[in-house]
Amino acid sequence: MIVEYVWLVPLIPILCFVLVGFFGNHMHQGGGYLSIAGAAASFIISIAVSVEFWTSAAYTDPGYVTNSITWFSLGGHDVNLGYYVDSLACLVMLFASFISMLIFIYSLGYMGDQGGRKRRYFAEVSLFLTGMLGLAASSNMIEMFVFWELMGLCSYLLIGFWSFNHPEGDAKAINAASAAKKAFLVTRAGDVCLMGGMFVLFQAMGSLDYTVIFNTANLNAANPDTLFLASLLIFGGAIGKSAQFPLMDWLPDAMAGPTTVSALIHAATMVKAGVYLVARCFPLFVMNIDVMLFVGVIGGVTAFFAATMAMNNMNIKKVLAYSTLSQLGYMFLSLGAGGYLMALGMQSGDTALMAAGALGYTAGILHMANHAFFKGLLFLCSGSVIHSCGTEDMRLMGGLGKKMKITSITMLIGSLSIAGFPFFAGFWSKDLVLETALDAAGNGACGWIFLLLWFLGVVTAFMTAFYMFRLWYMTFAGEPRENAQKSHGESPHSMTIPLCVLSCFAFAFGFVLLFGFDGLFTIGLNADGLWQVGGVAGAGAVHYFLELFTNPYTYLTIILVLGAIFLAYLMYCKKTVDPGKFNKHGQAWLYKACASRWWLPEIYNQVSWKLGYGVAKCVDFFDRQVIDGTVNGLSNAVIGGGELARKAQDGNAHTYAGVVIGGAVALFAVALILFVVYGGI
Amino acid sequence: MEGSFLLPALVLVPLIGAIITLFMGGKRQKYAKYTAFVTTLVILAIAVVLLLADDLSAYDFSANWIDTAGVKMNLIFRVDGLSILMVFLTSVLVPLALVFSYKEGDRPNYFYTLLLAIEFGLLGVYTSADYFLFYIMWEVTLIPFYFLISWYGGPRRHYAAIKFLIYTHVASLVMLIGFFALGFEAAAINGAGVNFSFDYINSAVGGFGEVFQTLVFGLLFFGFAVKMPAVPFHTWLPDAHTEAPTAGSVLLAGVMLKMGSYGIIRICLENLPLGAVNWQNVMIFIGVLSMIYGAYACIAQRDLKKMVAYSSISHMGLVMVSMGCLSDIGIEFAIFQMFAHGLISAMLFMVCGWAGHSVGTREIPLLGGLAGKLPYFATFMMFAFMASLGLPGLIGFWGEFGIVYAFYEWMVANNVIYLLVLPLLSLLLTAGYYLWAMQRTLFGKLTDRIDLSKAHDMDRIEAIVLGALAFLVAIYGFWPDLALHYIDLYAIGFFGVI
Repeated sequence: MIVEYVWLVPLIPILCFVLVGFFGNHMHQGGGYLSIAGAAASFIISIAVSVEFWTSAAYTDPGYVTNSITWFSLGGHDVNLGYYVDSLACLVMLFASFISMLIFIYSLGYMGDQGGRKRRYFAEVSLFLTGMLGLAASSNMIEMFVFWELMGLCSYLLIGFWSFNHPEGDAKAINAASAAKKAFLVTRAGDVCLMGGMFVLFQAMGSLDYTVIFNTANLNAANPDTLFLASLLIFGGAIGKSAQFPLMDWLPDAMAGPTTVSALIHAATMVKAGVYLVARCFPLFVMNIDVMLFVGVIGGVTAFFAATMAMNNMNIKKVLAYSTLSQLGYMFLSLGAGGYLMALGMQSGDTALMAAGALGYTAGILHMANHAFFKGLLFLCSGSVIHSCGTEDMRLMGGLGKKMKITSITMLIGSLSIAGFPFFAGFWSKDLVLETALDAAGNGACGWIFLLLWFLGVVTAFMTAFYMFRLWYMTFAGEPRENAQKSHGESPHSMTIPLCVLSCFAFAFGFVLLFGFDGLFTIGLNADGLWQVGGVAGAGAVHYFLELFTNPYTYLTIILVLGAIFLAYLMYCKKTVDPGKFNKHGQAWLYKACASRWWLPEIYNQVSWKLGYGVAKCVDFFDRQVIDGTVNGLSNAVIGGGELARKAQDGNAHTYAGVVIGGAVALFAVALILFVVYGGI
Repeated sequence: MEGSFLLPALVLVPLIGAIITLFMGGKRQKYAKYTAFVTTLVILAIAVVLLLADDLSAYDFSANWIDTAGVKMNLIFRVDGLSILMVFLTSVLVPLALVFSYKEGDRPNYFYTLLLAIEFGLLGVYTSADYFLFYIMWEVTLIPFYFLISWYGGPRRHYAAIKFLIYTHVASLVMLIGFFALGFEAAAINGAGVNFSFDYINSAVGGFGEVFQTLVFGLLFFGFAVKMPAVPFHTWLPDAHTEAPTAGSVLLAGVMLKMGSYGIIRICLENLPLGAVNWQNVMIFIGVLSMIYGAYACIAQRDLKKMVAYSSISHMGLVMVSMGCLSDIGIEFAIFQMFAHGLISAMLFMVCGWAGHSVGTREIPLLGGLAGKLPYFATFMMFAFMASLGLPGLIGFWGEFGIVYAFYEWMVANNVIYLLVLPLLSLLLTAGYYLWAMQRTLFGKLTDRIDLSKAHDMDRIEAIVLGALAFLVAIYGFWPDLALHYIDLYAIGFFGVI
């Protein structure tokens, strides 16, 4: 059984981290080849594990393979260290290791000029990969949390990769340092919530093993209020890690890191962890319909607001960052709407509703995988552009399509995919997300909320297509502007080959639905009444064609997407429509709101400064003046006004010995009186 | 006199070493550090023997000491699951602190004498099983530490040293009153002479009245809480740390603070359970206050070492909360956190003290961008800060995790689960001040506010010392059971026994 060796998957990259970290300077490319080999090995083992698992008997019953050893015991309950392989874990391991491998290859070219810093880079990205793979393979929440935080550390280190000795000067270094801190702290705010959720769950269940906490019987036996609290707190962790409203602000700032790191964070690791967590905890969250409603609302709101921020941004990486936020919002909307339907179905015993809910789960997971491919592709393309032009400002680009053929075509594929152009990967999953949201709108007491969220989702689809093609036209079409004229053409092969590979997946990964693999990514109650990911036959091509193409709303989104692309073409390529017309030349409040990210960074700053440093200043003053003042005042009173300091200078300890003994006698007397009064002796 | 001589040897070896180095003046000064180092290695070897032992009770030692006029004091040495980790921690930290300050040039023989004398006191405190012996050893740690600060400290060393001495000495006198009360009460209950051995007094616990327990708990608790230190009795600590030499800070934060929490568990909780119940809310209040107050104070600090000193207050607040839960798991993770904090704070103080020596200042606003110039320093600083803020996979996380969980169980039992916000807030603040300090110290623009022309990175010896500590932090973090299985010997069933 290869499945039993799944622990090798996270172990290999961490070994690479150690080897590269210590000996990278003596290796080719600062250990880059070793890191690539490690990621490739993890990928190959992931394939072997996945194939074996999907063809084994365990896949249909019970739907997972798990094993563990005792790590230590906490309050009389064992905490285990082990692995847990199911379809979800396999999927995450596969795309994380595959995309990371491609990003590492790309880094050979992109980071090629970094000299001695390559050692640090390749060591840290290997550790990052360990975090994501370990997260996917963990068998309980405490173990998962270790990897979860490991990713937080790596994101801190990598976002701050240029936080000192920045090649473009100190201002950028200061910016990178502050972005890294912000990323760690904001996600940490989510992480402490997740920790709280783990405490609540551990106290209630006596274990954090997936097999125990997601067992239907245990869930039904537990106090619903406790589960509600645990779910909300755990979701808090997902909000932080996946940068959802209101903890979304760190991700745009995180663009201060190298572009490859952005690709890693957005495609393969980090932000996918939050989605994974919600998908993993689906059986828990679904116990309470309000939790799922909350998940959906957070997702829908984030999808919409993040998309607005991307509309008028001029920084090529920032636009992609906002689009990540927005797409993650879709995933949460999908999981939330699916969970909402599932919970309704469970309450009323309606299997049709439960099937609709399972579709939402499938759509969310599939969108996570699709997004991994197209967002990895888009970031790497933008990296290729930045590498070539030396700027991130799209106003200085333009006309690069002729000089960078491969980059422009692959980026077009990525843009079509994320925009949801028919038959590209993003189309399938996004339209299923919207369909689930609309499904949820027609059911239950809170359906109208999902109607609203569906509407936001459709508007977001329009905006996505618009800003992605705005980006593409500004970069690749029209006349070359300043930096684009100095561009030194297409990037080296080590960079373009990963682009080509990724663009195949960004186009075609959606077809897994049509080939009947959707059964792998669905969730439901199996014959024993236990939750199981996968394990059912896929619905197949006909089902999804009927599902999507008999639905009039699918055509609505397709028309909106095409319209948005056309609008972007008119505004930024043909220039027959002046963009300034829509926003009073940058003076409209809406324009300003989007440009300043709805003032979220400002609010963050004020709150953290006031609640952090402001309170700290008060505490410090209190500490020095009141507490320490009392102490010094008391000792001065004993010794006699201000003598302490002077006498201390001559170091004459006799005086103090006298004082000390005097004090002791006094205290002894007090104590004696107390004993006599209370009759203790 | 009976039992194994290993423990008396453990305690006496540093004393012998201290006496030898004391007389290594003049030309022999340069050999003092080797003598001291060998001495500490012998101690470490003994500690490792103890750590690998199957049955710790085989090393019990007892002898009559003073037995006159109905008052009996004994020389009893003993290790159990609680003290073994403290003994190990002490015997690891002293040689590392000693090696780390191998450059000490000013009267080095006295410097090493003082360190060994402190080790003598510390090992005595952690192994003695007689109140009188315990008290003497407790006092033994104070005097050399006083001289360590006032001879080898920073510019305000005299003030800091005398403040340290008076503050902690007053506290230990209050504690002594508590010991006498325990001794006489136990004699009255047992109906025999006064005997200060732990066992003798422990055998009388059943007869202690609630009022007596509450009062005596208060006295002892004050004595120990000052040592921990708990807000509001903490102000001696930042001053002492700021002025103490690096090795002194390492021992102060690494092991001396643990004497306070060790005392609370060993003496207050073991002997005064009813008092503990009455003082429980105070312990939890003070603990939570220390956690959050200490964390906020850290944010405002400008001196790296002072910041780390306040972080010690914050982290010892966790220990206080954990003990205050009065549950097995609380005791278990209080001890674990003591051990974890010992290792981590040693790293922290080494790193920050090193910055003071080699960069020239510890003022955070004067620093900046050092990561590019001093990569080893930056790596170890990041490692230590990350360990201290509770990064999972390193030892600090498990202490925090277990303690907050123990606290949560207490909250559930008392129906106050909203209090969970407070420890979580303190975890967040901890991350905040450490990251902010790193941002201002290591990253951004290389500072031009100080002269860095003489600044050089850590040398090999310093890096090895920090690397050894980092290894321990990582290995115990990967497999916390390495420490927990000793603690379980002691902590599991703790509240069933008393």
